[in-house]
Order: sequence, then structure tokens, then C-alpha cells
Amino acid sequence: MLEFDFLKAENITDALKYLNRYNKVKLIAGGTDVLVEMHKENFSNKELNYLLDISNIKEMKTINKNGDSIEIGALVTHSKLEKSPVINKNINILAQAAVTIGSTQIRNRGTIGGNLVNASPAADLLSPLIALKAIVVLKSVNGKRKLSLAEFITGPYNTDLKRNEMLTKIIVPNYGEHYYSVFKKIKRRKAVDIARLNMAVVTKLDKKNRFEDIRIVPGSATPSPQSFSEIEDELEGSNIHNLEYNKLTKKIAEEMVSITGKRWSTPYKKPAVGSLLKKSLKAIIKEVEVNG
Amino acid sequence: MAKNITVNIVVNEKEHRLEVTPDERLLDTLREQLRLTGVKEGCSVGECGACTVLLNGKAVHSCMILTAQVDGSKILTVEGLAKGDKLDPLQQAFIDHQAVQCGFCTPGMLMSAKSLLNENNNPDREEIKTAIEGNLCRCTGYEQIIEAIEAVTSSDKEKGDD
Repeated sequence: MLEFDFLKAENITDALKYLNRYNKVKLIAGGTDVLVEMHKENFSNKELNYLLDISNIKEMKTINKNGDSIEIGALVTHSKLEKSPVINKNINILAQAAVTIGSTQIRNRGTIGGNLVNASPAADLLSPLIALKAIVVLKSVNGKRKLSLAEFITGPYNTDLKRNEMLTKIIVPNYGEHYYSVFKKIKRRKAVDIARLNMAVVTKLDKKNRFEDIRIVPGSATPSPQSFSEIEDELEGSNIHNLEYNKLTKKIAEEMVSITGKRWSTPYKKPAVGSLLKKSLKAIIKEVEVNG
Repeated sequence: MAKNITVNIVVNEKEHRLEVTPDERLLDTLREQLRLTGVKEGCSVGECGACTVLLNGKAVHSCMILTAQVDGSKILTVEGLAKGDKLDPLQQAFIDHQAVQCGFCTPGMLMSAKSLLNENNNPDREEIKTAIEGNLCRCTGYEQIIEAIEAVTSSDKEKGDD
């Protein structure tokens, strides 16, 4: 039976000291993943002797606009992302993704940092943040390092986080008004369910309404969400009013299969990922038209 | 032997000083130590919403929080909704609209609705649905539940118009 001691940190410095001093420490914030794992008896004393509660560290709960970027504390909840004026105004795609997560109760506790560190292939904040080229800040008693989120995620449920490190902050570049972004998700029922598939598209449009610097990141489609470079290359420079959807949907499905190989879910996911791409592009085009 | 933790929490406006084990969930503390058995355990993994309580005014799953994490917090359970003999308007509306069948989901539904009304006293139907999207009712009484919550918001509006 699992037996552990409970540690509590009220600030980043104390949390890092605990992480450095003790072995087999697991962090707990909102608890929406940790408590599920504990209930399923997925932890043993082989890897867990201490649970370190970081949920009350105030300095990790803020969202700040800082020059050319937005800094989001790792303990910001999904509810806060959903309602934050700074997020809604500057990186609306993150609010779009946050509102689809779990239920009100989950969104009130679950955090952006937890979503990233857990690194589920279906994590709803991963695909938009990878598309936004977000940077994660990792701190330890030895100092801090910054890593692109795409590098930080090393595989399904795996990250580059070192034993004595803690994710403290996520930095998102503040893209100007020429950038558009959209998040789409497919799930079995509207509430609570995890994503069957999701997709984040971030793109700039040039003066002639051609895609520029387009990023397309499907979630739940590959072992970890990643940019689909072939479909991005195909779309780069294309005029938004001149798209051959049949060709594009086939191409993104082929790219997915080239990464994952054929799986039991492939017959479903091939048309689904194509349909998500079409919906996402159409949503962006609609937004462009509304903005004139 | 794992060390116990002392926590001070305010539950239904009453202060408690409690000893909890490191793995004790808020749900366990409320049910086992404080005998507030209106808080129900359903799925234990944050899917059914039967264990919903308000933590500092917001709806949360008490099965997904360790009590040691919420030292110094205010918690409201279904037992704390009524004021003396007078039911909360939400509770009365659930009775009036027959929004209760077997009753197991009811405490969680009431607390999710309460959390919504704390933030927004005039929610529309979609906002009500979003507020209770994390609460499952196996008797399929959602229509009556939504109507009950709507009734409280509209009666508030009438009062406001006076």
C-alpha cells in the first residue's frame, strides 16, 4: 500500500528546496490527474515517498503581459484562462481550448502547468501552445532554463523535466493583429470527455490574404502533438479563397499516417483529421471576412 | 508511518481544527470526520460530480482534493445551504419542479448551481447547462433540474424589478 508524507510549499524557493532535499517527490497542484492516478493505484513507494503541494504558491497564479509576450504562471487554472481579459484579447485560442476541458469543477482546479507536465497526447492546451511556439520556464535550486514547449514534450506522458525541477511559467509570444488562430475539438459527448482529436491552427495572413508562417498542430493524432510540416508547406503562400479542400484533407491524413503508421483507429482518424483541418481553415477565413 | 497534518477549515460557517492523513481526500474528511454525508462518493475520479462542494465559493470535486491542501479554506456543502429551517431557494425550486428522482446526484447538482449563481445571478439556459455539465444524473432528470435552476434566477429577477 502506498504511504507518503505530505509537504507544502507557499513559495517557489521553498518548493525547489524540498525538491532538492527529498527523493521520490511528486508534485500536486489541482490534483485532477494525481488523485485519479492515486485512486487507480498507479503509484507505488518505488517512485513516491513525498507529495509536495504547490497549489498555494501565489506567485505562480498570475497572468502578465510583458512587452512582446504573455507570461502565464504554471498554476493558472483553466477557468482563469477561459475568463482572463489578457488571454481573451491577446491569445484567444488558449481560452477557446481551456473552455473545452473537463467540466466546471475540473476547470476550477486543473492548471495549465499540470496539463503540460502530464503530457497526455490528448492534452487540450498542448496543441495550441505548440502552435503558438510557447516557451516553458523550468526552475531548480541550481537556476533556471527555458525550453520551447515542443522540445520539452519528449513523448506521450513524458517531458524533459529533471528530478529537481519545477515548471513555473509559460511564455507565449504576443502575435500582432495580422495573426489568426483557431482551436477545434472532436469528442464523444460535449462535456467532460477527453478529445478524440483536436487541432490548433495559428497563421499570419499577408496583404493579399495568403497564409504566412502557418502552424498546424493536431492533438491526439500522433504520440505527442507536433507541427505537421508537410501540410504547413502545402498551405504556406496559398490564398485563402483558393483552397482545394479535397486535396488538403487527404494530404493531412497521409501525413498523420506517415507519423503513426496504421492503427486500429486510423480508418476513423483519417477523415476526422481532414474534416478538422477544413473546419479550422473555414473558421479562420470567416474571421478574416468579418474583420473585412 | 506517515505523519498526520493539522488543518483549520471553515465548513458551513463553522470552524474546525482537524487531524488528517496525507492521503485523506476532502470527501473523506467531510463524510467520515464531520459526518456530512450529503456529499456523495460516485466515480471517485472527477467524472460524475456527486461529490461537488464549494471551495472558497467555487464548485470543485471533493474527491480530487487532499484536505491537507486546503488548510485555511472555506467549504460549503449541501448541509450548509439552508438557513435554519428555511431551505435555500435552489433547494425549494428542486422540490417544486420535481427535479429529484433517486436523489443521489442532487447535492452535487445543487452545489454546482449555487456556484454558478454566486458568480452570475442571471444566467441563461446555456450557462446553466455548462455549470452542471460535470454532474451526471442517471435518472435522466436534466430538464427538471434546469427548469428548477431557471426558476430561481427568474424569481430573483422579479424581486429585482420591485
